[in-house]
Amino acid sequence: MKRFSKIYTALILVFLFAPIAVLIFFSFNSGSSTSSFSGFSVRWYVELFRNAEILNALKNSLILAVTSSLIATVIGTAAAFGIHHMRNKHLRRSIMSVTNVPMMNPEIITGISLMFLFVFVGSFLGLSTKLNFWTMLIAHITFNLPYVILNVLPKFKQMDKSLPEAALDLGCTPIQSFFKVQLPAILPGVLTGMIMAFTMSLDDFVISYFTSGVDFQTLPVLIYSMTKKSVKPTIYALSSIIFVLIFLLLLLSNREKSTYERLEVKRLKAEKRRKEAILRAQKAGKTIKPQKEHIPTDTPRAPKKNSSFLTKIIAVTCAIAVIISLCVMIGVYSKNTITLNVYNWGEYISDGSEGSLNVNRAFEKYCRSEFGMNVKVNYVTYTSNEDLYAKLSTDAVSYDIIIPSDYMIARLASEGLLAELNFDNIPNYESCISENFRGLYYDPENKYSVPYTYGMIGVIYNANVVSEEDTGSWDLMWNSKYSGDIVQFNNARDAFGTAFYKLGLDVNTSDVSEWRAGLEELKKQKPLLDKYVMDEIYNMMESGEAAIGAYYAGDYLTMLDNQADNVDLQFYYPENTNLFIDAMCIPASAQNKDLAEKYINFMLSEEVAIANAEYICYASPHSVVYNSEVYREDMGEDVIEILYPKDFDFHAAYDANCYKDLDAQTKKLLNSLWEELKIS
Amino acid sequence: MKKRLTEKQDLSEITESQNSISDNTVSEEKSKLIELRGVSKSFDGETVLDSIDLYITGKEFITLLGPSGCGKTTTLRIIGGFEFPDVGDVFFDGVRINDIPPHKRQVNTVFQKYALFPHLNVYDNIAFGLRIAKISENEIKERVSEMLALVNLRGFEKRNVNLLSGGQQQRVAIARALINKPKVLLLDEPLGALDLKLRKDMQVELKNIQTKTGITFIYVTHDQEEALSMSDTVVVMANGKIQQIGSPTDIYNEPVNAFVADFIGESNIIDGVMLADYKVKFAGHVFECLDKGFEKNEQIDVVVRPEDVDVVAVDKGMLTGTVSSVTFKGVHYEIIVDINGFKWMIQTTDYVAPEAKIGLFIEPDAIHIMKKSEYSDMFGDYSSFSEELEHLSDITEDVEE
Repeated sequence: MKRFSKIYTALILVFLFAPIAVLIFFSFNSGSSTSSFSGFSVRWYVELFRNAEILNALKNSLILAVTSSLIATVIGTAAAFGIHHMRNKHLRRSIMSVTNVPMMNPEIITGISLMFLFVFVGSFLGLSTKLNFWTMLIAHITFNLPYVILNVLPKFKQMDKSLPEAALDLGCTPIQSFFKVQLPAILPGVLTGMIMAFTMSLDDFVISYFTSGVDFQTLPVLIYSMTKKSVKPTIYALSSIIFVLIFLLLLLSNREKSTYERLEVKRLKAEKRRKEAILRAQKAGKTIKPQKEHIPTDTPRAPKKNSSFLTKIIAVTCAIAVIISLCVMIGVYSKNTITLNVYNWGEYISDGSEGSLNVNRAFEKYCRSEFGMNVKVNYVTYTSNEDLYAKLSTDAVSYDIIIPSDYMIARLASEGLLAELNFDNIPNYESCISENFRGLYYDPENKYSVPYTYGMIGVIYNANVVSEEDTGSWDLMWNSKYSGDIVQFNNARDAFGTAFYKLGLDVNTSDVSEWRAGLEELKKQKPLLDKYVMDEIYNMMESGEAAIGAYYAGDYLTMLDNQADNVDLQFYYPENTNLFIDAMCIPASAQNKDLAEKYINFMLSEEVAIANAEYICYASPHSVVYNSEVYREDMGEDVIEILYPKDFDFHAAYDANCYKDLDAQTKKLLNSLWEELKIS
Repeated sequence: MKKRLTEKQDLSEITESQNSISDNTVSEEKSKLIELRGVSKSFDGETVLDSIDLYITGKEFITLLGPSGCGKTTTLRIIGGFEFPDVGDVFFDGVRINDIPPHKRQVNTVFQKYALFPHLNVYDNIAFGLRIAKISENEIKERVSEMLALVNLRGFEKRNVNLLSGGQQQRVAIARALINKPKVLLLDEPLGALDLKLRKDMQVELKNIQTKTGITFIYVTHDQEEALSMSDTVVVMANGKIQQIGSPTDIYNEPVNAFVADFIGESNIIDGVMLADYKVKFAGHVFECLDKGFEKNEQIDVVVRPEDVDVVAVDKGMLTGTVSSVTFKGVHYEIIVDINGFKWMIQTTDYVAPEAKIGLFIEPDAIHIMKKSEYSDMFGDYSSFSEELEHLSDITEDVEE
C-alpha cells in the first residue's frame, strides 16, 4: 500500500512536470525543431534578449502584473478587513459571493463585458482611445481582487480577536492598531494573495486580449499572436525563465512557512513532555517542587531575521517595479512624442533578431533625422483577419497601420473602415509595385492598399517516401499508395480549396451542387488521411511522421531548415492553387494618417523591403526586392525558384484562384458541409 | 424580587459587610476611581447587563465573580472602552468617559488568551505601549527590565513569545500592561488557560504584584476559590445583575440570597419560617439563631454550611437522618444525609457508615437567614449531587461570550 501510494505520487508529479521539463529541455536545443534535439546551446536565450518585441511585451507584462497586484492587494486587504468586521452574517455572505464572481465567471465573459464597459464609458466621455494601459490595469485589478480577499480573510479569522483590542488598550489609535499589529499578523496571507495576483495577472490572456489597447501588449497576447507561424524556441526560453522565477518565489515563501511550523511543533512537544513528567511524578507519589518553568536553552529562535529579510526583498522589488512602471508610463505619455500604432500579424516584420534590421526602430531614427520628429512605433500583433476586424469594428481602439489579407480588405473597404491613401506621400509606390499587383479585385482602383507580401499554397512531400512520378498535381493528396501518410488542412476553406482546385471548380462559387461535389471528393480522401492539421504540420513533416501535405511555400522553407536527417522534403505547385496577398492599409479612424503614409513609403524602400522579405520568407510583391541581386544571393536560387515560379502570370492566376469573401449563405453551407465531413 | 445595591445598603446587616466600599462614607466621593451608574447593555436584543451600579476605590483588588453569561466580562469591557453602555454612565476619577475610546483611557487590560503580538519578541511586546507613547529608548530599556524583574522573566528579552509556555506568556501580558503605569489593571480570566498547579502559583504572584505596585486590579473570574483567596472585594454577578458586593468572608458567611450561597462554597439551603427574632423553624425543628428584623412568620431561606453541622448520636441530635453516601476527602469525610427526603451535605472528621442513622446538631451561629429571592428553591439540595458533574460544569464555564 505504501509503495503504491509512492508510485501514485510519483506518477502525479511526472504528469505535472513532464511538459515543463520538455519545454526547458527544448529551450536548450541548438536547432529550431520541436521534435529532434540537435545539440545543447543557449542560442535561444541569446536570441530572446535580442528580440525587442518580446522584451517589450515582457516588460509590459511585468509592469502590469506588479502594479495590478499591488493595487489589488491594497484594495483586497481593505475589503477583507471590512468583510471580516461585518456583523450581519447574511450581508457578509452575499458580499463574499459577489466578490467571487470575477473568479468564477468565465474569463471570456469578464473580458468581453469589461471591453464593452470601457468602450461605452470611453465614448460617453468622448475619448479617442477607449482601450489603453489604464483599462487593462482596471481589468487586471478586477480579477485579481478575489484572490487577495480569499487569502487575507482566513488570516483575519485566525488572528486572535483580542489582538487589535490589545493594541488599542496599549494606546494605539485604530489606524496604528491596524498597521502595527493586525497587518503583521495577516502578512502571510497578504503576501500569498499578492503573489497569486501577480502570477494570475502575468499569465492572463483572455481578459488582457479583450481589454488591451494599441499601445500596450502583454506577453501572453504577443505569444498567442505569434502562432500564425510556428512558435519559435525563443518562447521556450522565455517560458523556462518565467517558470524558474516563479518556482523560486514559491520555494522561498514555502520555506519561510515551514520553518515556522517546525518551531511550533517543537514547542508543543516540549510542553507535552513537561506535563507528562509532572504526571509521572504525581503518580509516583512524589511531591513536585513549585515548578519554575524552564525552556531548554537550545530553543530555536523564530526566523525573525529571515522574515524581515524576505519582507525587505519584496518591498525593494515592489519599489523598483513601481518606479520603473512610472518611468515607462511617463515615457509613453510624454507629449512630444507621436505614437504610430501598427497592427500586424505576429512575426511579420523584420524585428532585429538574428542580426536582421529592426524596421520599427529604423523608422523612428529615420523620422528623427529626416523630419526632426520624435516618433515611437507601437507595434501590436493579431492572430487572424477576423480578430483584426473585431477590434476595428468595435471602435475601441485606433490604429494607424494595419496589414490585413485580401478578402478582409475588400470587406473593410466596403464597410467604409479604410481611409483612401494619399499617394503623394508614397512616392516609392510607382517604382516598387508593378502592374501585376495593381487593380486586383479587393481594391480595383488602387485606393486603399499597398501590397506587402503574397504567397501560394503548394504540395510538400517527403522524397524518401513518395516517388517522383506521382507528384505534380493535387492527385498526390488522393493517392491511395500513401494511405496514412497524408495530412489535410483542418480548416474548411482551405480543405475544400484543395478539392475544388483538383476538380477544376471555382473556389468562390455559390452553386450548392459544386460544393457537394467538393464534399464527395474530400470524403473519398478522408480514409487515406493521417489527420487534419494546422500548425502541427510543421512537426509532422519535419519528423517524417507525415509524407504529404499542402501548405504555403514560405512555410515549406521553414520546414526545410528543420527537417530530420532521414527526411527529404520537396515542394511543387499543382496546376491551380490558392494565392493570397496581405497589404498595408490605413483605417479610417487613424490618428496619424500622414505619418502612416510615410511609414508605408518607408516599407517600400529597398533596404527595408529586402529585410522584411528575408525575415518573413514569403514572396515579396516589391520589384526592388525580387530584382535585387543581394536578395537573390541571400536567399539562394533554389529558394527564389520556389517563391517566384518562372513564367508565372500572377495577375491571371490570382484572379482565377484567390479566395474571396463568401456570401453568408455559402458560408453557412460550407460550415455544415465541413461538419458533415468531420462526422462521416 | 428586584434588588439593587442601593436598596441593599439600607439593610443594616448587609451594610455592615460592605466594608471596603462604603465604610468610609464621608471620604468615599473622593476615592471613587471608577463608577458605573445604571449601566445596561444588550446584544441582539438580549440583555447582558441590567442597570448595574458599582464603584471601585483606589488600590484594591476587586473581583467580578459569576457563572458564564452573567455579564462580568461585559462590565470589564465597558470599563476598558471596548463596549459602550446602551444606558447609564461610566465615570473615571469623576469624569464621564462613556465616549472615550480605549486608547485614551488610563486603564490597561490583560486578555483572556494574553493577546501577545506574535511578530514581536518579549522585549518588544512589553515595550509596545511606551513606544506608542514615544518614550525615549533609554527609558524604555530601564522600565522593561524593571517589569521583567517584577514578573520574574529576566533574561527572556529576546525570546519569541510564541515559544513561551502559558505561564510565561501570562507574565509577559501582565508586564506589557503594567509598564504603562495604568491607574487600573483589568484582568479577564487571565489564569483560565493554565493548569491547576500553575494557576495556584500565579494567584499568589498576581496578588504580590498588586500589593507591590498599588494599582487597582479588576479581576474577572468564574472560579470562586480564586476570587475568595485573592480579592479585597468580591462582586458576585448573575443574569446581568450584581447580587452581592463584599469582602470574601462576608460573601461566604453572609450570602444575601440562595444564588450567592450556592455559588460560593457548598451550602445546604432549606425553606424556613421566621417565628420571631432569633427563632427560626426549618426541617420540622425550631432553632435558635442570631438573625432578627424579619416579620413574624416570614418565609425565608436558611443556609447551613456543611462544615458547621456536628454529627452526634441519634438521641442527642436536633435532627435525625440516614446516611446515603460517604466520600473520603483527605481532611474530612463528605457525607450526604437524607433528612425527611431533603439531602444535606455534611463534612465531618469522624467516619460514619453508609445507611447508618445519625443525629445532627447545629449551633445558632451556624445558621444564616436570607430573604426569599428569585433564586429560592433552585439550589441547596444535594439529592442529585455528583462530583463528576460539578467538575464538568466547571470546565464548560471556561469561555464567556
